[in-house]
Amino acid sequence: MTNEAAKFILDTYRPNGADAQDPTFRAALDQAASDPDLAAWFKEQRSFDSLVAAKLTEIEAPPNLYSAILAGMETRSPIRRFTIGPILALAAVVVLSGIILVPMYMEHQSRTALISQYQKANLTMLSSPSWPQLDLVTTNFSQTQAYLAHMKAPRIPRLPGALLDLPTVGCKAFYWNHQQLSLTCFRLPSGDLLHVFVIDENTFHSTNIEDTFRDMDGWHVKFERRDGMLLMFVSRAPMAEIKEYI
Amino acid sequence: MTHELNLEAVAGRFYASLYRFALSLTKNEVEAGDLTQQTFFILAQRSHQIRDTSKVKCWLFTTLRREFLRTLRVQSNHPHVEFRPEIHDAPALSADALRALDAKAVLEALTQIEPTYRTAVELFYLSEMSYKEIAESLEIPIGTVMSRLSRGKEQLKAILSAAVSETSPKIIPLRNDEQAAQ
Repeated sequence: MTNEAAKFILDTYRPNGADAQDPTFRAALDQAASDPDLAAWFKEQRSFDSLVAAKLTEIEAPPNLYSAILAGMETRSPIRRFTIGPILALAAVVVLSGIILVPMYMEHQSRTALISQYQKANLTMLSSPSWPQLDLVTTNFSQTQAYLAHMKAPRIPRLPGALLDLPTVGCKAFYWNHQQLSLTCFRLPSGDLLHVFVIDENTFHSTNIEDTFRDMDGWHVKFERRDGMLLMFVSRAPMAEIKEYI
Repeated sequence: MTHELNLEAVAGRFYASLYRFALSLTKNEVEAGDLTQQTFFILAQRSHQIRDTSKVKCWLFTTLRREFLRTLRVQSNHPHVEFRPEIHDAPALSADALRALDAKAVLEALTQIEPTYRTAVELFYLSEMSYKEIAESLEIPIGTVMSRLSRGKEQLKAILSAAVSETSPKIIPLRNDEQAAQ
């Protein structure tokens, strides 16, 4: 093996030494041990690789990313986690009994669960100490809508008149379950925030969604369908104040 | 190794290196964060399909790259950065000079490697994947990985050397008459 051939192989030797036992490197490493020129090159190469790898690890991930990942993984659809066994068994039952209502019922349950997951994901995001991290910070509602339009994210179709008078805090466009959605935050006179999530209502098909206020984990939550969008209003403000605006 | 994945542990172990890989691809912190989240979301959905848990790292990096490429196809707005051939002749890079460089400058240098070689080099440094795992992830022969790493690292050295010389203070030797005047 020439030194050039050995260098070609040793270029792929990882700086952390994880390849020490890989037989592919054996001959090249032996050659480096006996040839001073190759040894010097290899030493310099490893030093360079180690420095580059170390430099790159200095770049830190955003502090909220880990909690956001965990929240996102919580929202996975349980229907995709079925193993083949139960699915086959269910199929057998369906075929044998000739009942088509079973899968229909399951689909309904799945959609209901999906809404629950959507709601939970949004509340988890809002409850995280460092959330919501907004893409755009502005007090101007029109600017939030322009930004969301630019991002091709769903926007609030028609805002209740009273809400139009409130300043915004900002907005964010992001994805949940492969669906794009948006979050626009308003500041109420009390100083509390009112968050409005908007997603295409087809995400949940024709599932019935209650449009009354409910309390969840300390949040007041209300869903509303409007012009093809599903709006989710969320706030910790007193209910009386929220109702003035929604 | 075929036991159930502990998703939280997997996320804790790999999210930072995945984020750095995403950042090298997207060159945008927000997009890198979203891409990392999306990758773990897909993992959560498909974790039951992963039979060999020892390959989860390779799976994550492969999936993140595929998601990035899928997004690219949709958006078609990723700037294409060409390698500048003139920097092949840059001076050799000392370890001290490299240490003095900012981490983001090193990441930026990675993104300037010619696209053909770049991903292999990014995976080499950011994921600590072996050449075999890189070959599996990129679906290319092992010999091609070796070739891309060799050429890509050569380019990286040249780019970093150029970056160092740009940031170094310029020392201009005095002329003889100026020395005499002092």
